[in-house]
Amino acid sequence: MIDAGYVLGAILAMGLTTLALRALPFFAARWLQRHALVARLGRFLPPAIMCLLLAHSVVGSARSHAAGPWPELAAVILVVLLQWRSANVLLSIFTGTAAYVLMRNAWPG
Amino acid sequence: MSSAPARDRAPLGPASALSLTAPVAMGYVPLGAVFGYLFVQAGGPWWLALLASLIVYAGAAQFMMVPMLAAGLPAGTIALATLVINLRHVFYGLSLLERLPRASPARWYTVFALTDETYSLLTTIAQAAPARQMALIAAINQGWWLLGTAIGALLGARLPSALEGLDFVLAALFAVLAVEQWRRRQDITPFWAAPLAYAFALALAPGHALAIAIFASIAIGALVRGHGAASG
Repeated sequence: MIDAGYVLGAILAMGLTTLALRALPFFAARWLQRHALVARLGRFLPPAIMCLLLAHSVVGSARSHAAGPWPELAAVILVVLLQWRSANVLLSIFTGTAAYVLMRNAWPG
Repeated sequence: MSSAPARDRAPLGPASALSLTAPVAMGYVPLGAVFGYLFVQAGGPWWLALLASLIVYAGAAQFMMVPMLAAGLPAGTIALATLVINLRHVFYGLSLLERLPRASPARWYTVFALTDETYSLLTTIAQAAPARQMALIAAINQGWWLLGTAIGALLGARLPSALEGLDFVLAALFAVLAVEQWRRRQDITPFWAAPLAYAFALALAPGHALAIAIFASIAIGALVRGHGAASG
């Protein structure tokens, strides 16, 4: 069992961080809108960070067992194709995760 | 909520707000359940899973917190990771600014609850939607997320052990969000520059690859003028 006080502290820190990000434009809208740099980062960073987080979680999974990175690559390609064709978030995530769980448990590395 | 402004005319009833959120419920209940399940399986108490969905209320960050908590990482590190994952939310608020009246509790709740899905839903409903209705939709969405979390936490406490590889749900979620970013792309630079930066960082300093690649991406984003730069 993870210590409840520790988890509580982490939850509060995460909650405050998330709230601060969501509330920032409502306090600093003029500043954010006036700067071309912010607009440029606003276009560049969301896709860049999503690609980084994807790469980082795939590398993390691939290094946790001997058969990596093939199950990870296969499952990510499956998710990307499904999401591109169907735009159905639930279908993509659950089919991809189910395929990955199957691969990991059928051929344990 | 009695102090709602006068332009709150003829809001939709709770029933129609509920039906608007149906597509979100289809995603939030099962995904919330996966979070609750993984959280309890990792050794967290069920009520803290619910508290996380109540206070943090950010899907990707919540999935990410499970392995970090299990590894006993400092709260500051977890908050920093949350900052990175949720950075995109800064840019959501900018496009909703004009539509939320100032200094109302409805406004502040909506700002707090501005997840990817709630943001998408709020940008698609009528321009004239009153603040109270936007807050109601946001609250129903959070209700679906809490319901899913409760179901998952309950299952996690009953079932013997987690399936190996279930944490891939986080990678799958990032892949889905990346595809949606690609669909709305104005510039393809981030889609190759960021992975390239990560590959270099991984080769140079595997332990800090993500942090290095994020700083590199911020630098590239600040320096490179994309094709859409003139529209801002």
